[in-house]
Amino acid sequence: MKRMIRLTINDKDIEIAVKPNQTLADVIREEIGLTGTKKGCEVGECGTCTVILDGKPVNSCLVLAVQADGKNILTIEGLETAQGLHPIQEAFVEKGAVQCGFCTSGMILSAKSLLDRNPDAGEKEIRAAISGNLCRCTGYQKIVEAIASVKDRRPVS
Amino acid sequence: MLLPEFEFHEPTTMPEACEIMGRLREKARPLAGGTDLIVNMKKKLVRPEHVVSLAKIGDLQGIVRENGFLKIGACVTAAEIAGSDAVEKTFRALAEGARVLGSPLIRNLASIAGNVVSARPAADLPPALMVYGARAILVKTSGERSVDLNDFFKGPGKTVMEPDEILTRIIIEIPQGCYGDSYIKLGVRQTLEISLVNVAAFISLDNPDGPMNKARIVLGSVGPTPIRALSAEEVLRGQSPTDGLFARAGEAAAGDARPIDDFRGSAEYRRDMVAVLTRRALNAALDRARSR
Repeated sequence: MKRMIRLTINDKDIEIAVKPNQTLADVIREEIGLTGTKKGCEVGECGTCTVILDGKPVNSCLVLAVQADGKNILTIEGLETAQGLHPIQEAFVEKGAVQCGFCTSGMILSAKSLLDRNPDAGEKEIRAAISGNLCRCTGYQKIVEAIASVKDRRPVS
Repeated sequence: MLLPEFEFHEPTTMPEACEIMGRLREKARPLAGGTDLIVNMKKKLVRPEHVVSLAKIGDLQGIVRENGFLKIGACVTAAEIAGSDAVEKTFRALAEGARVLGSPLIRNLASIAGNVVSARPAADLPPALMVYGARAILVKTSGERSVDLNDFFKGPGKTVMEPDEILTRIIIEIPQGCYGDSYIKLGVRQTLEISLVNVAAFISLDNPDGPMNKARIVLGSVGPTPIRALSAEEVLRGQSPTDGLFARAGEAAAGDARPIDDFRGSAEYRRDMVAVLTRRALNAALDRARSR
């Protein structure tokens, strides 16, 4: 039986009926249509489905959509503003940190979560923060350089 | 990867949750962080007809210091444990275990109760809890009981829990005096690793230069459940701590281990590493005991 849930995605309030066995990743992609969130392994190992749930990055493939009732969610689509791309997105473009692009949404959201908490994060912290996000192009070096190069590290809401 | 269909329950109080579990028993599974349950349901390893979320039950949240005990609610996440000052100050091995569990993304979801109830032989939190003599509080409609985690695990995925019981909190007595603790996980990578061997050590000294009045060592990934290295503890008890003694305790611990050969590593390697890591964990615990 479907249930109504209310959640805020990228500052927009959404009310939607979901089945108990739908994951948050599925609902974000297929019902809400935000396909920037990817599905890779679907068992919490690859990090391509990363979203920020009430301020914390999580694997959205392991969260039931019904559990997201009342929660605040940020997906990759929520980073760009009228002023343009988020500074982390800019840095990824600048440094060539995007290869096939499949891991990029998750990488950027894990990076954002780190820099919001610790604007002075060094290489060690950066590598630890993205350790749940796999890049199978193995382009980690450019990704780490991009995150380290972000100039304006103040949180952008 | 589709989740099988199930009915979702979201009780807001423990009596309500107990009523549901009492009625549905084996047909229902409690859901906390979901990082084990959802994966196992996707892989069709478990097929509960009902899933009972514990997230809306306020009593199951938070870390509280009370009457000489630290009480950790079932739904407290690994990230919350890793970031807790109370845990860092009093239970270093537990903080270290929480910090290496899964990945940063998993730690924001995975709960302490789930990591215990899943009863995986390589789980990070059980050894780090058992080394302090932690207890699990199990609740059902007809009452509650407190079980020493040393008596809790029965085999891979198997525990003493009844189908209608819910693990509501983990309680740990805060040790007094001159004690030190440590947790070491051995794997081939730093994240999302299922350990080859993990070792938790706890020692307590009469005084900073005195002999040990308590010593506990728990080994993970080298048996069907986490195991106490009782003969290693015997080597240590009442003795003055030295690196030579710790090396002998390590050898004894290797004898207590019951490792298997699998694709992650051979039994022989694991047994050797138990000796090395036990010695290291004891030395780390000693340093901390002396600086406390």
